[in-house]
Amino acid sequence: MKIDRRSFLSFLIGGGAGTALSPLPWKLMDDSSIWTQMWPWTPVPEDGEASYVNSACTLCPGGCGITVRKIDDRAVKIEGMKGHPVNNGGLCILGLSGLQLLYGPTRVKTPLKRVGKRGQGSWEKISWKDAISEVAKILSDLRSTGQSHTVGCISDSDRGTVPRLFERFLTVYGSPNLMRTSSIIDSYELTLHLMQGVQASPGFDFENADFILSFGSGIIDGWGSPVRMFRANSAWRNTGGKIIQIEPRLSNTAAKSDKWIPANPGTEAALALGIAHVIIKESLYDAEFVDNYSAGFEDWKRFVLDKYGPDSVATITGIDNTTIIALARSFARASKPLAICGRGQGTTPGSLDECTTVHALNALVGNINKQGGIFAVAEPDYINWPEVEMDATAAIGMQKDRLDGAGSKKYPFSRYLLNRLPQAINSGEKYPLKALFVGDANPLYTMSDSKAVKKAFDKVPFVVSFSSYMNETAQNADLILPNHAYLERYEDIPTPPGMPKPVISLTRPVVEPQLNTKHTGDIIILLAKAMGGNIADAFAWNSYDACLKETLGNKWQVMIKKGFWSYPDFFVQTHEESFDTISGKFEFVSKETGSLKQFKPVNIEGDKTNYPLLLMPYDSIRLANGVIGNPPFVMKSVDDTVLKGNNVFIEINPKTAGEQGLREGQLAMLSTPVGKAKVKVHLFDGIMPGLVALPRGLGHTAFDDYLAGKGINFNELIGPVEDPVSGLDTAWGIRVKLAKV
Amino acid sequence: MKHKKAKKYGMVIDLDKCTGCGSCMVACMAENNVPFRKDESNKLLSITWMRVYKLTNGKPFPNTDICYLPRPCMHCEGQHEGHSPCVTVCPAIATDYNIETGIVSQIYTRCFGCRYCMASCPYHARYFNWWDPVWPDGMEKYLSPNVSPRMRGVVEKCSFCFHKYQLAKEKAFMKGRRELKEDEYQTACTQACPADAITFGDLNNPNHAVYRMAKPDPKHHGRPTNPHAFRLLERLGTNPKVYYLSSREWVRRAGDNYLENESIAKKPAHHE
Amino acid sequence: MDSALIPRGVKRCPFPQFILFVAIVGAVLLWGVYAMLLCWFKGLNQTNMNDAYGFALWIWADLAVIAVGGGAFFTGLLRYIFGKDDLKNIINYAVLIGFICYSSALLILAIDIGQPLRGWFIFWHANVHSMLTEVAFCLSCYFGVLTIEYIPLILENRQIDRVPFFHHLGHNMHETMAVFAATGAFLSFFHQGSLGGVAGVLFGRPFAFREGILIWPWTFFLFTWSAAACGPCFTILITKITETVTRKKLVKDSAIELLAKISGWMLLTYSIAKTADTWYWATVTAPSMGQTLMDFYSNNPLYGIWILILEIAICGFVPAFILITKKGRKNSLALWIAITLATIGVCINRWVMVLQVMAVPVLTFESWFMYFPSWQEIATTILPVAYGVILIAISYRYLPVFPNEPELNPMETLPAQETEKEEAVEPSVDLEQELKPAEA
Repeated sequence: MKIDRRSFLSFLIGGGAGTALSPLPWKLMDDSSIWTQMWPWTPVPEDGEASYVNSACTLCPGGCGITVRKIDDRAVKIEGMKGHPVNNGGLCILGLSGLQLLYGPTRVKTPLKRVGKRGQGSWEKISWKDAISEVAKILSDLRSTGQSHTVGCISDSDRGTVPRLFERFLTVYGSPNLMRTSSIIDSYELTLHLMQGVQASPGFDFENADFILSFGSGIIDGWGSPVRMFRANSAWRNTGGKIIQIEPRLSNTAAKSDKWIPANPGTEAALALGIAHVIIKESLYDAEFVDNYSAGFEDWKRFVLDKYGPDSVATITGIDNTTIIALARSFARASKPLAICGRGQGTTPGSLDECTTVHALNALVGNINKQGGIFAVAEPDYINWPEVEMDATAAIGMQKDRLDGAGSKKYPFSRYLLNRLPQAINSGEKYPLKALFVGDANPLYTMSDSKAVKKAFDKVPFVVSFSSYMNETAQNADLILPNHAYLERYEDIPTPPGMPKPVISLTRPVVEPQLNTKHTGDIIILLAKAMGGNIADAFAWNSYDACLKETLGNKWQVMIKKGFWSYPDFFVQTHEESFDTISGKFEFVSKETGSLKQFKPVNIEGDKTNYPLLLMPYDSIRLANGVIGNPPFVMKSVDDTVLKGNNVFIEINPKTAGEQGLREGQLAMLSTPVGKAKVKVHLFDGIMPGLVALPRGLGHTAFDDYLAGKGINFNELIGPVEDPVSGLDTAWGIRVKLAKV
Repeated sequence: MKHKKAKKYGMVIDLDKCTGCGSCMVACMAENNVPFRKDESNKLLSITWMRVYKLTNGKPFPNTDICYLPRPCMHCEGQHEGHSPCVTVCPAIATDYNIETGIVSQIYTRCFGCRYCMASCPYHARYFNWWDPVWPDGMEKYLSPNVSPRMRGVVEKCSFCFHKYQLAKEKAFMKGRRELKEDEYQTACTQACPADAITFGDLNNPNHAVYRMAKPDPKHHGRPTNPHAFRLLERLGTNPKVYYLSSREWVRRAGDNYLENESIAKKPAHHE
Repeated sequence: MDSALIPRGVKRCPFPQFILFVAIVGAVLLWGVYAMLLCWFKGLNQTNMNDAYGFALWIWADLAVIAVGGGAFFTGLLRYIFGKDDLKNIINYAVLIGFICYSSALLILAIDIGQPLRGWFIFWHANVHSMLTEVAFCLSCYFGVLTIEYIPLILENRQIDRVPFFHHLGHNMHETMAVFAATGAFLSFFHQGSLGGVAGVLFGRPFAFREGILIWPWTFFLFTWSAAACGPCFTILITKITETVTRKKLVKDSAIELLAKISGWMLLTYSIAKTADTWYWATVTAPSMGQTLMDFYSNNPLYGIWILILEIAICGFVPAFILITKKGRKNSLALWIAITLATIGVCINRWVMVLQVMAVPVLTFESWFMYFPSWQEIATTILPVAYGVILIAISYRYLPVFPNEPELNPMETLPAQETEKEEAVEPSVDLEQELKPAEA
């Protein structure tokens, strides 16, 4: 057949028309759209049977109850547990993101042993058996050479069975060096010890208070047990409770407060004394309490009346005297006033002076161990293990001075001074640290002066991390013995900070362990058994779970059922039996510490000429700054005036920025005596001129790509300043200069 | 047969209680399988069905004030039922107004990504999937089967957790009930809010908390009669189902545009 | 080489020169195609669009090419319905430009949507209340009409026309062209209007929202009007450019001037209407939503009041006054300025009604959003321009687009004889027919 042009064209056109009229193109069109509706690379979650498991969150010390929704064996959503005494249904942003940690890329999947240099990120997998015998060998060697005291352990908490197992291990092994991450709780415990003679944590009865005088505490920025504080704050909206917020920057708490008083930073204690002055002078204090249950009031009164009149306090604080007087009056006249301290989330202990002065205000209005006031809450007494039998080595080791100087002549009242550890290691003044266990803590990120901390860690020959996640400390460890994630394990969560009544919550496995991890409790037990002798004897339990069950005794069944144990018979002591001081009374001036010193603003690092501005950190509930870093969801909630790309913003008053020649969004170099960093400028009217604020919680180098490398870690820019009495870190800021880049 | 009045689910957000903590945002992301990317700092590319805005009063130190404002989809009713800005413009009926509940839905498999709805929404409540959603290896495990992950190229937005409504309906039906109790259907953000700032319920039901708090005026398209209540951009006539409460005048004023010297109580612009 | 395809009685540049030209423009086209494929395979993350700019450069380009492509329907309307016979000399080109504009618009839309494979849902699951649905239907139908209007011109290619079937097809199509022109005008009225409606109905956006009649906001009518006014200006502009490039006079002045005059009056009345609309919107509509005129034109780096003045005064009234005066139309430079300004004016209008609508903050606590397109967006927007240039080049070379051309540019010698052999084997053609103007 001859194909000429015409027939060819006819063929083409006819073919085209025919195809168009056939079902083919329509079918293809339809199929392609169906394909787009079920692209194979877009996941389709499998359906299954829904169930719920009650547990407790451990991502911060807040101790919230959680209810986890499951589909078959997958956890799909974390919600707040209804009826839980801490959070009753609500949950914070971090708690809600927990599944991103459970199933996320930051998990340490198996025990890892470092190969190559520290922090280089080269690891080899190691079996649990080998890992534990390696640790046991190193510990045995140290012990046999009389160096048991050179083993240290850092943990975020000293309460609950796991920290207590660490403590027990160190005791029977022979080291006094258990160290707790410091926070405002340290200052409060010390304050309660000095003024009331008790060993207890502070418990604030916010639910019944109606006038909160907050010296910079981020009531709704993550202070205390965050969800409980949110709830209390909302309750005050309903009941007419008032919050007065004293801090130089308009934080969320300040913005939501009834009155924001921007006092010069670091002068909070002076303001408290000024308020005390007015209260005493106008006889507005609770005479019943002061006369009957306090000691040293006259001395204190003289001191306060002499030196802290409203005018002089106005000069120090920058608050005018009428405001001070009005504030004192409304505080004293409120029916349930409560003064609190601990800047931001309370992650730094702050000055002891400040804490005791603020606490004295509570005593003035007589709300110690009283409804709506502040309670001294003793640790729940459920851990009653048999005494360990120490051999000679252990006894000698335990006699040694603590490396951090807590309990020493210089700082006799402090229990833990982790902030002093880097300096103690770096200076080599006492003895070296040969091995370090890091439990549920991330000191390489959370401790100030990161460079010095890193240097100190580098001097410790053997660092073991128990972290479930690849955090900064794990990254720089020699061995990682990953704990189960909190949704895979049992653990007791003792009373969260600030709760006036003891409550123990139960963390329990929601899903099977997803990876080759082991409960830290089990590791300690296995290690003890591997060490043998007295050490093994002190750990007679077969497993951590058995230990926990036995420890909780009859509480176990209740906790399994309800998810928590609250002490129904919690007993509030009367004022007669509250105080265990030398005088047996509340001591305005502690007889143990002696004389009153004139209030001195905390000296912060840096000179005014080279560093004309002041740098302060600020805390946000949307930036986890503790042992856990922000999971992706929480990162997503961070405002674009806090972080843009990898650049963090500083907040600065437009006036100050103008003086420095800086505009919104501009890049600037921030330098302090400790470090420097490139930042972006965000103009914020709500910050006192002369100040620069930087958020905490950014600048991670570990964790995943969703977090690492974004912003600056505030701790790289600030170093600790020792409190003269407690030895705790009092630094609230540091001098800084800003320059255009 | 007795004919039950249709539901009008809505929300009241108490800005005096809202702490800006962001729990609502994350509860929503977790509930609704919202994807995330390595850099979420460009908020114009970041999918947040619930977004918490930070408002400032613009005054210099120390008279500055800030307020947080959570913004879900407003589920606008418009000037007559279903005349939402977005529903009316969608060319393919991929977003629809549910007469039974008053909820504005989004059908991801129907949407072809023209983004006209986004242009129409003055609240920026609608989000486009610029990227394929990708979860890090293993993280797909937490995805909920009740909400399908969205593919690239479609628009998504807050659904008032409509799947929770369906689940609650099924559950009630099994118990032989057709009507839901107030607490049986609650959105994820409402449940998660640690400050109890969000209240959710039927605005047509005088027994529901939302009704008592907002006191909607049916004669004026649900305009709140509670003097502390306001709706965002009330004057545009979008007739949103999300009400805000604030005791601060500047916050209420920030909820809408006003001419200089204009008082805050103004009728909606048109159709009236 | 290709002289057999070149219409009789006209002179074209040498084939290599033509190929070189097409190759250069083709390279730009390929760049655009590459960007288009990136958008299709990787998704719209290739653009700088975002959730505040769901509509951006592409939608502007879409609206702009449809506006300037309005020359086709309006010239057709004048030629076939109102019987302005002079316009037969430019109608072919108007149709061709319209065809390019509309096919470009469809192509851009196909790139712009997030799920191109589901694009047909707009027809299948049509929401009759949506202005976009109306746009899609009318636009597609009108594109069909333009194709039908363009086909006869293709059929007039010397070689195709030899096929009797095509010859007769073309002839018959010419006969019925008035029907299509009327249909096209009707469809255009609606989709041009609907495109205006797209912005005008946005009652959540005080910058865009306009009152109107029944379901149609004022922007509906203003868009149709401006397309009718400025579309022909663009047709003239492209004609003028083509004349400049080919260094030939292609269309008689009478046709150009007639079209210019009508455009001028349309533009004048449009500008008056636009002014009235703006005035009402600025003093009544926007204030009722709590916003003042200057709210829309201040506190941002780009959108100042200058844009409004530029659009209405400089690109509206100025060209209108030039075009309605005989002196203005007859002065080559003035005409150039007028048609250029008018084209720019309508493009600015479309820009404002797309981009500025998106940029203006509505929530009091949001600020202006600014946007700059990515190279992929720019490349895919230039792609249709390159395609248009190529299609014009090919059409001009091989089709009798300009019926006046042989008359205005008499040839001294006949074109090359190479094709004679080939012609011999082809069926003989009626030469008389062949030389007739395209729209006969």
